[in-house]
This record gives sequence, structure tokens and C-alpha cells, in this order.
Amino acid sequence: MSRSDPTAEGEPPPLATALRRRLRLLASGVAVGAPAGPVAVGVLIATGRRLPDAVAAGFALGTLALGFGVLGWSGSILAGPGIAAARDHLAVGSDWTETGSRRAMTRIVGVGVGVMTTTSLLETLA
Amino acid sequence: MSTDTDTDVDARSRGLVARLRASPFLSELLSNRLALAGLTIILAMLVTAVVARVTLSYDALTASRLGGTIPDRAPPGWIGPAATDQYLFGTDASARDIFRRSAYGAWLALKFGTVVVGVSTLAGVSLGIIAAYYGDVADNVVMRTMDVLLAFPSLLLALAIVAIFGNGLWKATIALIMVYTPRFARVVRGAALAVLEDEYIEATEALGASDPRVLIRHVFPNTLAPITVQSTLNFGLAIIDLAALSFLGFGASGAAPSWGLMLSRGVENGLLTGKWWMSFFPGMLLALTVLGFNLLGDGMRDALDPRMRDAVD
Amino acid sequence: MVSKRFLLKRLLLLVPVLFGVATLVFAILHLAPGDPARIIVGQRASAEQLQQVRTELGLNDPLWVQYVRFLTDAATFQFGDSYQIAKGTPVREVVSETLPVTIELALFGQFFGLALGIPLGVVSAVKQDTLTDHATRIGALTGISVPIYWSGPLLILFLSTYLGWFPASGRIGATIFLDNSWQLLGTELPLTGLVTVDTLLLGNVDAFLSAVTHLLLPSLVIGIYSMALISRMMRSSMLEVIRQDYIRTARAKGQGARITVLKHGFRNALIPVVTVVGIQFGSLLGGAVLTETVFGIAGIGTMLVEAIGATDYPLVQGTVLTFALLFTLVNLGVDVTYSYLDPRIEQ
Repeated sequence: MSRSDPTAEGEPPPLATALRRRLRLLASGVAVGAPAGPVAVGVLIATGRRLPDAVAAGFALGTLALGFGVLGWSGSILAGPGIAAARDHLAVGSDWTETGSRRAMTRIVGVGVGVMTTTSLLETLA
Repeated sequence: MSTDTDTDVDARSRGLVARLRASPFLSELLSNRLALAGLTIILAMLVTAVVARVTLSYDALTASRLGGTIPDRAPPGWIGPAATDQYLFGTDASARDIFRRSAYGAWLALKFGTVVVGVSTLAGVSLGIIAAYYGDVADNVVMRTMDVLLAFPSLLLALAIVAIFGNGLWKATIALIMVYTPRFARVVRGAALAVLEDEYIEATEALGASDPRVLIRHVFPNTLAPITVQSTLNFGLAIIDLAALSFLGFGASGAAPSWGLMLSRGVENGLLTGKWWMSFFPGMLLALTVLGFNLLGDGMRDALDPRMRDAVD
Repeated sequence: MVSKRFLLKRLLLLVPVLFGVATLVFAILHLAPGDPARIIVGQRASAEQLQQVRTELGLNDPLWVQYVRFLTDAATFQFGDSYQIAKGTPVREVVSETLPVTIELALFGQFFGLALGIPLGVVSAVKQDTLTDHATRIGALTGISVPIYWSGPLLILFLSTYLGWFPASGRIGATIFLDNSWQLLGTELPLTGLVTVDTLLLGNVDAFLSAVTHLLLPSLVIGIYSMALISRMMRSSMLEVIRQDYIRTARAKGQGARITVLKHGFRNALIPVVTVVGIQFGSLLGGAVLTETVFGIAGIGTMLVEAIGATDYPLVQGTVLTFALLFTLVNLGVDVTYSYLDPRIEQ
């Protein structure tokens, strides 16, 4: 568990609660990403791309968010102590926590999944 | 801060010079010899850059002069034969004057460095202040994204972005703007949070000042000092990274007199044959400029109010 | 001590890391300009040829099918053959040849960074605000101001081209040929690809010395960069430890100041430095890309640069994923070292 965040050291919440909390974060991301996908495709078309290219680029943007989120999530765990130490000793703002980072990344993963889903749907419809 | 206390009235009635002298930041900075040395180097480079830009023609600098009267790969005049004495830094493989090209390189480095640092500062300031002020979800998602971006090695991240956007000096500049923005966002957010924690902001809010007014009137002015320090420190890094992209073949191209490209050509054409001047001089100006910014930035950081110092990397 | 459970948990993290990186690579390749099919068939190919290659590459399949296929390929490291740089050679082969080169360079570079940075940081802290301290800090500042692609050529020019003390490029003398395998108790074993290790395994001392002299300059150039960060970090961490009470107490008891600092402070001060080594290894890899280019070393960094330059997509995928894997494994190692050094952590 997190070393940088002492509050997370206590009794772990029951699995169901923890899972539900994560799903809620994910869902809040999807809620943003799902409409963002078609909007992005629309913008791309407005800037002069053909529909299939715009859909492909939209999908790729979704994977960009997904990949970034997943990498950030695992990176927070992997490099957590390193980042915290760098903050403390190179005199950089020090409110970084592993938990906070993982939560934010879960949201971003949700955005990516949302974008990918709706752009895939657009592709099958088009 | 704009509360009307006696000392403020005092300060206002004094002249500008006196007020500057009274600023602890400036007096501290001016007493730092290394910082002054850095400032001198930067000013010298700036003068070189402007003079080169005004007096030299870009076309003449980039055109190949092979086959003319000027020898190619000629050593600097002060060590070579008398015929080359007008070439202070020697000539390159296309018989072009390395001195003039290096001087013009200062213009390119400072110009594109300014674009990278300027635009990423603006983007970082907006993101950082918004994150600090609106807190919660916006803060978390924006800042954690910035943190992850910061954890990427800057050159490799820039390479990845170049792979998306393609090659060229302007595209490399855009890639570096994306790499540098998180650094500013974090500094600004740190500084803004420190200001927001102050009681007087809470008091202002209680009196009913609206969001944008608090941001512009109170938060932004107080983040200026750390932003300036961060910009200075990153200016040197931006010049190095931009030259690195040119060196690897993703930035400046053709015969452009950019330091990175000149270095790369110098290594290609002169490294194993001992023609050292082709890579030495452009690199020297580059390293000197970067050192200037690092010295000044380091001195500025030491002169900064300790509370703000924590925010600057 | 490090528990097995902790190790297993960290190793499992490799899965999401590589999944994330593979997804990012997919995104980059699909956002990048240019059509891979067009690159394969060339500019003059007909529209039919282009369509055929597109179908063969699966570029006409639904996007999510392409994405899933990409992930399964990445999971088994099947990227196919290189388009341009090493035309026709499987990417897997190119990577397995060039990866040890970069690992060796990075390890030596990291060694120099630590070997120079830690003592400098300690000295700087112990002699805080003296001339030594200032000189060290200015030295570190100069170290990060000089770009690798300038210090590298300069060292080559003066130490190799003029003085001839060191070779200018490559990994080992041109006249030295190494066997492909080595023998241990009568069984043939494959070589590691790290020349300094291989030459020792083969018992060839001359070749080993040649390999070391080849490595010295490039790794020193990389090392100076990480030295700057490590010495700064070490200084700050050491200063903090010195200020702590138990050091003062020890001093009050009459032990010599210098010995006290080394004995009590060093180990504690080292902990935060070790943690940063992992993150800083990323910029070391960035430095390796530049150093390999300068010194003409055919490592995976050179491959990455050339692959991006020539839009050799399979090779870009392979090299980027390998870089990520390397970075992650190093951080894993750092994590283990860290928990070993810091007894306060319960795994």
C-alpha cells in the first residue's frame, strides 16, 4: 500500500467498497470521455479531415488517454517513493501522494475508454 | 500587496531606484557575483544575436560557397595560413564562415528558446492557477497529469511528440512546449496555493470579490517571482533540448545556422580528421549561453522568498 | 528484508506498465502522419498494390480489432520485420542485438554518476558554505550546462584524435574477434552481449581492456549529467541528516565530526538519493541516445532515433517498448534496494 500517504495505511476497506469506489472514478471518466469522442471527431472533420480519418484519429486520441492513464497509474505505484523523495529534497511542492495520483489516473483511463467506445460505435455506424 | 499600510505609502513616495534597491529579492540577487556573471553572459549573447540578425543576411549564411576563393574546412585565422585570417572560427565543409553562422545561431537559439519558454509559461500559468483556485477534481486531474508528464524523460518525450507531428524547427518547438508546460504549471500552482492560504484572500472572498478578480488581482502578481526564476532556469534547458533535437536530425534542417545542426555537421565532417573548430565554436557558444541562464537562475532561486522557493524546481 | 510477496507485486506491475506503453505507442503510430502501407510499397506503387498491402497489414479492419491485435503482438513481442533501417530483419532480432549495448553504456554511466556524485554531495554538505562547497556546486552547474553532444566530441577530439589515448568510436578494437559462446565445465553457454562481461567470460584480458577503454569516454560523458543531480540531492539529504538530533548528540559525546557524519548520517542520507536514481535513469536513457549517436555506438538509442527518422514503424514499436521495459526494471531494482536500505518500511 501507499507509503507516502499515511492515511491509507490503516484497515483496508472491504473489497466491495474499494472496488465500487474505483468503478465510480472510472465511470466519472467515461461520462466525460463518451461525449468527448464524437465531439473530437466533429472538430477533426471541421478542420478538413475525411470521416474515416477523423474517426481513426479520434480513436487514437482515446488510446492516448487510456495508455497515459494506465502508465501513470502503475508508474505512481512503482516510482511513488522516488517521486516523494525528489519532492522533499529538491524543494518542490510536496503534496504529491500515490493515492491521489492513482485516483486521477483512474479517471483518465475512464476518459480514454469512453472516447474509444463512442468512436468505435461511430465507425460501425458510418 | 495592495493594502494601504504606512510602509506602502512610504514606498510609493520614494523613487523607482530606491524602491528597487529596497526589494530584498533584487538586492540579494545583485550581491550574488555568479548570478551577475550569468546575466552578463546572457546580455552579451543577446547583443550578439541582435547584431547578427540585423547585419547578416540569412541567404548568404546558408548558401554553399564551395568552388569560390574561400577554402573549405579552413582552420581559424589565428592558427591557420595567412589567407584565412578573416575567419575567426574557421570555415565549414561548405566553406561558410563559422563565426558569422555561430553568431546567427545565437539569434535562433534565443528566439526559439523564448518561444518555448514563453508559450509554456503562459500555458503553465493558466493551468496552474486554475488548478490551485478551483481545487478538487480539476486540481487533481490536471496536476497529476502534469506530474506523470514530468516523470517522462524530457528528450524521449520530445522524440515521441516529434514522431507524431513530424520534423522541423517549429514542430520541435511545439514538442518542447508540451514537454515544458508541466514544469510551469507545477510552480505556479505551488505559488498560487501559498498565496491562497493567506488569510487576506479568504477575507477578500468574504467581502464578495468574484473569482476572476481574486485570480488576477491577488494570486497572479504573487506568482510572478517564482515564474521568473523557473523561466530562467528552463531557458537554458530549452536551448539544450532544442539543439539536441536538431543534432539528432529532428529540428533545424538543411543549412540552417542552428547550433545543434552545426554541431552535428561538425561531428560528421571534422571529428575523426581533427578539424575541431567545426564543432568546438558552435558548442562553446551553446554551453556558455546555457551556463549563463543556469547561473542567473540559480542565483535568483537563492534570492527568492523562502516560502516561494519551495515551489521552484 | 524484501519479502517475496512484495517482489511479486512489483513484478506484476510490469503488466500494466507495458500495457500502458503499448497503448501509447499505438496512439503515437496512429496519430503520426504517413501511411505505413505507403512506406512499404513506396511512392510509385499503384492504388491496387497499396490497397493490397493495407489489407495484409490489417489497416482496413475495425479500429478496435487493430488495437487488440496490436496488444497481442506487443505482448509476445511480435512486431514483424523492420521496414527500412534493418530491412527484412525481425525487430526482435534487432532489439536483442542492440539492447545489451545500451544497457552496458547506461550501467557504466550510472556508475560514474554515483561514484562522482555521492562523494561530491557529501563533501559539499560537510563543508557547507565553504569554498569547496561553492566550487562543487558551480562544477555541478557547469556539468549540466555542457550538452553531451558537445562534451562528447571534444573528448573524442582531444583524447582520441590528438592524443590517441582512447578509441574514438565503437565498442571494441577492430582486430579483436570474439567467439559466439563460452564454456563452463564443458557445457557451451551463450554470451551476454555486454562486451566487458563477455571478454571476461572468454578469459581474453586484452579484449576486456580494449572494451573498457572504448566504454570509458561515452560512459563518463553520460555520468557527468547524472552526477549533477545526484550530488545536489546528496548534499540536501546529507544536510538534513546532519541537522538531526542524534548526530548532534553523537558529536557532543566527543566523537570526531567527520567520522560521526559518515557513520551515522551516510546510510540515512543515501535513502532518498537511491529512490531518485530510478527516475533519473530516464534522463540517463535520453543521454544514451545522444551519446550513442556521438560515439557511433550501435545501441538501441541509435535505433530509436533512426527508426523515428525513417518512420520505420515496427522498429519504433519494438524500441520504445524495450526502453519502457528497461526503465521499469531499473525502477523495480531501485525499489528493492530502497526497501533494503530503509528498515522502517514494512513490506
